[in-house]
Amino acid sequence: MFKENPIVNETETIIGPSVRVEGDFVTEGNIIVEGVICGTIKTLKNLRVGSKSKIYANVTAENALVSGEIQGNIKVRGKLELTPTAKVFGDIKVGTLLVASGSIINGKCQMGSEKDKSPKPDFSKQVKIDLEAKDNQTETEKPSQEKTKSKLRVKK
Amino acid sequence: MYYYIYDSDLNNKKYNNLVSRIETRLTDLGINGKINYLSFLKNIKQLLTEEIKRGVKTIIIVGNDQTIGKMINIIADFNVVVGIIPVGPKNKIAKFLGVPEGEDACDTLSSRLIEKIDLGLVNNYYFLTSIESGGGDITIECDNSYIINLEGDNQINISNLNHYDETACSPTDDTLDVFLKNIEKKMFKKNKSSFSHIKAKLIRITSNKLIPILLSDERKIIKTPANIKIVPKKIKLIVGKKRIF
Repeated sequence: MFKENPIVNETETIIGPSVRVEGDFVTEGNIIVEGVICGTIKTLKNLRVGSKSKIYANVTAENALVSGEIQGNIKVRGKLELTPTAKVFGDIKVGTLLVASGSIINGKCQMGSEKDKSPKPDFSKQVKIDLEAKDNQTETEKPSQEKTKSKLRVKK
Repeated sequence: MYYYIYDSDLNNKKYNNLVSRIETRLTDLGINGKINYLSFLKNIKQLLTEEIKRGVKTIIIVGNDQTIGKMINIIADFNVVVGIIPVGPKNKIAKFLGVPEGEDACDTLSSRLIEKIDLGLVNNYYFLTSIESGGGDITIECDNSYIINLEGDNQINISNLNHYDETACSPTDDTLDVFLKNIEKKMFKKNKSSFSHIKAKLIRITSNKLIPILLSDERKIIKTPANIKIVPKKIKLIVGKKRIF
């Protein structure tokens, strides 16, 4: 019922505040960054960027929570959450974006996918309406209408 | 066929009672075999090679972590099943593998739950649990893809089978766990420490100075530069139900 033994944690990488990583940092588990990273960060799971951390790298993750500074492009398939201390200098491509007041974004932002876009209607098939011709037509129709009205009066 | 290797410390009188109880239990369970005591005068590798040729398929190490550490390096190259009977102080490995101390370990051995376990290799020297190092201005290169620069006072622990800072390291995941602890000393305040944890298969530790690397199992020192890698499923170990992985 109560396990005495410690359970092996889910794969989690922690980059502490005193650590400086240079190069391509690719993992399959969750990443917590509190230090400095230069290069590339890629993970199939979640990324958490601490408030004092600085990332000079292109970032790819499933979900991300950013409180620090990122100088590079961010590609997040799921949810990207920017807290008030977050600073992003680069383009963002994200599924869902949550921006807190105070956070800074400098770059292009692309949300959702091309599938979300509704299809463009085909305007080329639509016939142009000739307004002048229509006016003439209404003028010719008016006297005939008057005639019918007078006929009705006669009948009465 | 079982072959037993006893630590030289078990010749001590205080272990006589315990050793005889273990031997009785092993006979009861029908897993008794030839016994050999470790000694500086004996060439264990040669002895084991001869015994394996004669048909020994299971080697049981009777002793503590240090005994296991010494033997792992020799046994790693043989295709045999390894079991342990923890006796004496410092039995961390037995705890990680879920093997109880003393004569209770005989029951675990007889149940024969075998697990293929990874071994770490540092400069052509095998280790089962972990290696430790420390100091400043150290560069750690991981998986030939990224470099970690460490400044200040650092503690490095590279673990295969260990329980470090509430994190259990599995020896079956084909990776080594790198734990980095930076200690920031302050004059009139408490020392501040920060913690990092990375998983890697291939690690290279370099430094401007010669830094000693300590093998936790065996109390052996290796100097930098050190090439460390994981050797997956290298050894077959008899484990207990209460193992940490």
